[in-house]
Amino acid sequence: MNTAGIVMRLAWRNLWRNYRRTIIMLMAISIGAWAMIFMIAMLRGMVGDMIRDGINALPGVVQVHHPDYRDDPSVENLITMPSGEIESVFKEAQIQYFSPRVRVPAIVTSERASRGVTLVGVDPAKESLIQAVGSNIGEGRNLESVDDSGVVIGHRLANKLETSVGKRIVLMSQDRNNEVVDRGYRVIGLFTAKLPAQEEMFVFSGRTVVQKMLGIGDAVSEVAVSGPDYKLVEPLVQEVRQIFNGSEEVLSWQELDEYLSAMMGIIDGFVFVWIVVIFLALSFGLVNTLVMAIFERVREIGLMLALGMRPASILSQIIVESVFLLLIGLAIGNVLAYVTMLMLPAGIDISDLADGMELMGASDVLHPTINVKDIIIVNTFVLFLGVLASLSPAWKASRYEPVEAITKV
Amino acid sequence: MNLSFTFIAILFGTSVCADNLDLDATSIVRNVLNHWRGLSSHGEMTMVIHRPDWERTMSIEFWSKGEKLSLVRVISPRKDRGNGTLIEDKNMWTFSPKVNRIIKVPSSMMAQSWMGSDLSNKDISRTDDIVYEYQHSLLGRRDVDGFTIYQIQLIPNEDAAVVWGRLVLEIRDDNVLLEQRYYDQDDQLVQSLRTIEVREMAGRSVAAHQRMVKEQTPDEWTEIIFDSMEFDLDLDDRVFTRSNLRNPRQ
Repeated sequence: MNTAGIVMRLAWRNLWRNYRRTIIMLMAISIGAWAMIFMIAMLRGMVGDMIRDGINALPGVVQVHHPDYRDDPSVENLITMPSGEIESVFKEAQIQYFSPRVRVPAIVTSERASRGVTLVGVDPAKESLIQAVGSNIGEGRNLESVDDSGVVIGHRLANKLETSVGKRIVLMSQDRNNEVVDRGYRVIGLFTAKLPAQEEMFVFSGRTVVQKMLGIGDAVSEVAVSGPDYKLVEPLVQEVRQIFNGSEEVLSWQELDEYLSAMMGIIDGFVFVWIVVIFLALSFGLVNTLVMAIFERVREIGLMLALGMRPASILSQIIVESVFLLLIGLAIGNVLAYVTMLMLPAGIDISDLADGMELMGASDVLHPTINVKDIIIVNTFVLFLGVLASLSPAWKASRYEPVEAITKV
Repeated sequence: MNLSFTFIAILFGTSVCADNLDLDATSIVRNVLNHWRGLSSHGEMTMVIHRPDWERTMSIEFWSKGEKLSLVRVISPRKDRGNGTLIEDKNMWTFSPKVNRIIKVPSSMMAQSWMGSDLSNKDISRTDDIVYEYQHSLLGRRDVDGFTIYQIQLIPNEDAAVVWGRLVLEIRDDNVLLEQRYYDQDDQLVQSLRTIEVREMAGRSVAAHQRMVKEQTPDEWTEIIFDSMEFDLDLDDRVFTRSNLRNPRQ
């Protein structure tokens, strides 16, 4: 039998000599691994929701505006290219998901109340915004065409205005000469949004109707372009930039919502810190276990050295022992984490905390998301640091003086 | 509506006078507005804002010309003296000598109250809405004290910038608006403008004392009392300019 085989076998048997201690250590490692994976999954789930909602609220992973629009989102800063032309150039570039829309601040008035809102003139056939913001039309119907003169408003806004489907409301805004423009609209549908603030913020109507009210002809305030994956937007940004040739501002969602993209970066850092913190606690237990195991076996190790076993084999024996311990612990931890996920298919209901979470832009159901990358990071990290931590006791064991070790009481 | 009304009237031989046959609901409303405003007008009025625990009285001088232009300026109380409002079509500017600034009333403030009264900026600046933004129909007529009073219903056009479900006007046949009731879209009465006193001024009968009350707060109201009034003067367009709003010259 070769040395490696003997080392492996010795390590495995040593592991189960004091099985109570090993099991306690295994529990510590597996709970540690479980906690790391599960907490990271929760964090990822929360941020994922925030980003998805955030992008949906924008929405469109790439947006085109007049260069001054973001500083002053008024009717003065419109995209110079008329919407008919926008449609043809986008079709030419074979970008499928785009929607030109008019978006202006407005005042909505009912018989009893008035509130500031964002009036969005959309093309319902192209529009993802209504579906995204208002996850569903709770009452009434959705807009049907660009020249649909009805409005879809949020449930909460309807309550505040004391209006309902079928009634008329008045929307007031300003035209390019700062003159008051207003028009009556009939409420045709009420939407519900994940984030209550959105229910009070958006009022949707047909695009051409809004254009006509504002007297802006064929112009639009933004073009939202969506891609298949929100993480891969750079190529799309380049493509859209080429279409507009520098005359308009083309930005990806990371640039539009820096809070969101900063969140992404923070969360990656946070995951790392979290792993390190848990591991630090874990490593004390691990080192302690190994030190004890060696301390118990000083005479035995001395004997092995005296019989001619090389210090390197002693070293690897101890390290292999800790690798076994770590591997089993991690395996159990991973399975535990996976099972926990399976038990929470619908996400975690945190609606009790919804008001607080809403401030952060998170919704009231948390969907933990396991990321393969995170699992790999957790496991390799724990394994690597675990081996590193066991190096010192192992090194100490391999450096015993045989005679001294054998005679040690 | 007018046609069918006429038709029914003829059919049943009611007391529709011959000279009223061509008077349809829309022109009754328009006549009221023209009568009340004339080609131009100028006068002084008192506005009383009443609340359960306080009351405030202001004297106001006003000018109007045509359908689009009007100017009002506060005379007293002293601390509000010089506060003015200029209305040009749908647009509105206010001036306050204390800050020495002309401020254009933005669309966001159109629904807010005018000088703390029960009238909104929109009520003040959009008086001719009742002619252009509604479909008019005659609900009925009755004879009181030798006058005929028409009851006219106003239903807003589909795209009208009007929140009401309907308005009901009571108009006396000498073109005086006796009452204007505002109903919401559930047909609940929300507020009403009632004429308390009709007086002869400058050769016209004028709704000289009016009161605006919101139904939900019956102990809060705003009254407007016309103290003097002259019609069809020769007013220069210069009166209705922003510089005149700031520096009174007329």
